Amino acid sequence: MNQARPEYLRPALIVGAAAGILSGLPVLSLVNCLCCLWILGGAAFAVKLLSQATPIVLKPSDGALEGALTGVIAAVSHTIVSLAFPPNIESARRVLEWLSSMGIEQPANIDGLLEGTSRFMSPTWMIIGLFFTAVMFALIGVLGGIIGVSLFGKKPASAVPAAPPEAPPQPPSSGPGDAS
Amino acid sequence: MNPPENGGFPGGPARTVRRVYFWTAAGTIVWLAAIVSAPWLAAGRATARVGTLLYAAFAPVCHQIPERCFQFHGRPLAVCGRCLGIYAGFALGLALYPLVRGFSTLRLPTARVFILTVLPMAVDGAAGVLGLWDSPIGVRFATGAVWGVLLPFYFVTGAADLLGTRRARREARALENRAGTT
Repeated sequence: MNQARPEYLRPALIVGAAAGILSGLPVLSLVNCLCCLWILGGAAFAVKLLSQATPIVLKPSDGALEGALTGVIAAVSHTIVSLAFPPNIESARRVLEWLSSMGIEQPANIDGLLEGTSRFMSPTWMIIGLFFTAVMFALIGVLGGIIGVSLFGKKPASAVPAAPPEAPPQPPSSGPGDAS
Repeated sequence: MNPPENGGFPGGPARTVRRVYFWTAAGTIVWLAAIVSAPWLAAGRATARVGTLLYAAFAPVCHQIPERCFQFHGRPLAVCGRCLGIYAGFALGLALYPLVRGFSTLRLPTARVFILTVLPMAVDGAAGVLGLWDSPIGVRFATGAVWGVLLPFYFVTGAADLLGTRRARREARALENRAGTT
């Protein structure tokens, strides 16, 4: 039962880092509004890379592990990118005022939302946020990874009888009929 | 698509699948309760911090735009209508799981079923992003729910397979150790 295990870390590192960065960038992060697509799709893509890199037929458990790993790595890179692009409350307020002057309605509790955002920028909140993000992204990654196995995983070989093994080389005979 | 994966389950996977199923159901109830209770907790004076924490917990996975969220106690839920649809659909899918799949087999849904269930949400979402139409919150909820119904069939299968595989590896290691000591 000592099965070979695929190399999970490499695809998870590559795809997880990319998915986390895309999830943290100001405009591109909106894609996550579609069912956390960067993370879900990223985990599925990581499984596709894993499947290409290994001759092993992947099982749902491989997808789950790969997806969870991708999600956790994405959470870390998402947090780092979020630190690099902190939301500028004053700029946001100015943009909202400009939108209001154009006649575009704003949510009634927009001030509360902005205040709430600024409150979550302390180091303590960052660590709590990283924990929650890691849990959420890992769960979504698990789903994406298992979906990836069902979509991109290699199918197990069908029950075609294998070719017989080659006959071992005959030892050199020294009989009389041996023409050399 | 994938054949039954009973490799790590000498006596069949039923016991492991059942255990994963019940833990997933418990987690789903807690998840949905957190979404619905966030506005109620945020409205209370003593519980406002807990409510704020719940909103923050769901922020990485949802835009939480108030106009696109169902309201409770005069405040938006912790996730948008589409996300709520996905989670509610997940709960419905879990309820259907024993009837559709049972506990004795591990099989992932086919690619065709995947495409059929994801298509309504993908079309609605893409059209919204491209500005072709702006669907009402009920449609967002419904398309999310259709997709969500399928998800437990992936999650329970994958998690049960993971547990079975880990157990099989642990037992193999224990056997090797025992053989090494004797």
